[in-house]
Amino acid sequence: MIASLQRIRLIAANTFLEAVRQKFFSALLLISVGLIFSASFFQQFDFGTNELKFIIDFGFGAIFFFGSILAIAVMAQLFFNEIDSRTALTLLSKPVHRSEFLIGKFVGTQFLLLIFVFVLSLVLVAILFWRESILLSRFGNEARLDALLHYYDIFIFAGVQWVRFCVIGAFTLLICSFAKTYVYTLVTSLFVLIVCQLQYIAHEMYAQMDIGPVRLLVQLVSWTFPNFQLFNVGDQLVLVGSSSLSNAAIIHIIGYGCIYVITYIFLAYNNFRRREI
Amino acid sequence: MFSLCNSCPIVSKIRTVIIVTALLICTAFLSQPLETRVWQEVDSQQWRGTIKVVEDTLGQGLTVGILGGFRAILADLAWLQLSTVWANEDRVKLSAMIRLVTTLDPRPEFFWINAARMVAYDVPAWRIRKSGGYNALSDIQKSAIDEEQASQAFEILKRGINFHPNTARLPMEIGQIYMNRLQNDALAAKWFYEASKFPDAPEFVVRIYAELLRRQGKLVEAYKYLTQIYPSLINASDYQQSLVLERIQMLEIDLNIMKENRFQATY
Repeated sequence: MIASLQRIRLIAANTFLEAVRQKFFSALLLISVGLIFSASFFQQFDFGTNELKFIIDFGFGAIFFFGSILAIAVMAQLFFNEIDSRTALTLLSKPVHRSEFLIGKFVGTQFLLLIFVFVLSLVLVAILFWRESILLSRFGNEARLDALLHYYDIFIFAGVQWVRFCVIGAFTLLICSFAKTYVYTLVTSLFVLIVCQLQYIAHEMYAQMDIGPVRLLVQLVSWTFPNFQLFNVGDQLVLVGSSSLSNAAIIHIIGYGCIYVITYIFLAYNNFRRREI
Repeated sequence: MFSLCNSCPIVSKIRTVIIVTALLICTAFLSQPLETRVWQEVDSQQWRGTIKVVEDTLGQGLTVGILGGFRAILADLAWLQLSTVWANEDRVKLSAMIRLVTTLDPRPEFFWINAARMVAYDVPAWRIRKSGGYNALSDIQKSAIDEEQASQAFEILKRGINFHPNTARLPMEIGQIYMNRLQNDALAAKWFYEASKFPDAPEFVVRIYAELLRRQGKLVEAYKYLTQIYPSLINASDYQQSLVLERIQMLEIDLNIMKENRFQATY
């Protein structure tokens, strides 16, 4: 057991180093940080949203959008690098179980995403703090009511987003386990991401449908994909005026994500163990 | 026979798909209690596009925005596009754009109020002009256009009230459309009264409500309302206090109230 964990740790560390060295990661991180920094500039296009709300919306948008791209692209790229360069073959010929290989890849990639999410949250907090200080000094107590934010909850939201990226990474791994090419994995994973984002619509649709094969199909879609709208709790967590989210709800969201991560990794292993490399 | 089926690649693939689907459905059942519990707390508070919204936005390249955040900036850019549509007096596209903007980001009151104003005040003018001008249409035709457009504006504002139930600005806007566009003092009064109940109601709402009652000939009601409201204006501006008092005195004259029975200001 300890030896297995040790092997997973080594694969994860190697995956992480490989991922960090990729130009794609650095470029995406820089773009995201730049975008959050430029939120104040984009605010010139704003028509009536509170400035801080606007920056939060922008920051959360950047975290989700670029994080999702990174979760899919890095996972797929690192997996197919190993397969194409035949290093997976060498690795798996040693006493490394295929499940350890998959878990190691997953953990290494998710560690990279954790850093990505943390850096972006830190930048967002810095920008918000800076703008809030300016607003408070400009408007004094008048601005206080609108401007106060739960800074600590930005990191909780970032954590919730990271759980979402774990689910995205896990289903990308599942697709990698049977896909033949990198491009196929990338495109399919993006489609799955869109389906997960809009899964709640399937919920609404089948509730209004008559019993029949179409309803069964829609119901099947809503059952087989996780509901990613559950992770969109930024406003509730961070803005003072919004109704707050209970700790129990946050734990439930994390639990919900974990169930899907475990299932997807198990399915990925089930496919990968029979795959010829 | 059985081993033959097992070695057949199609059977093997179908079996894999069935196993995967079955396991995912089991996972859904396992996670459903968690989802239901969180959805109750999250659903009412967050933005969610309906299937209609997704359809509306697909053609406009905004799906990425819906899926990936950036709602505020995309709604703002869509509003800029809406302004162009408004300048071109394209009322069909205007309605679609209003729906898009308010759905993308329902949080700013600005969108609801200004969209309703465009629909209630500007669109009737375009329609009348396109039909030959003010002199070419009868009063009945003109008021039919006004009523049709006003009802569309009310629909926008009532949708906005669902997102902003604690502000006076949206009910006040409905009242203003009834008052200025439809000249319906009774319904305007109803909405100004609704607006006056909110803490953020501007000072003039109280006076307009009383004035609308007066215009309907409900002098006693207007007088009662103002005399009841006056003591609560202790923290209002001097201007507001003196104006309300002036209105009370004018109503006393109109109602022929004896001097000894007249309202005594306490401050």
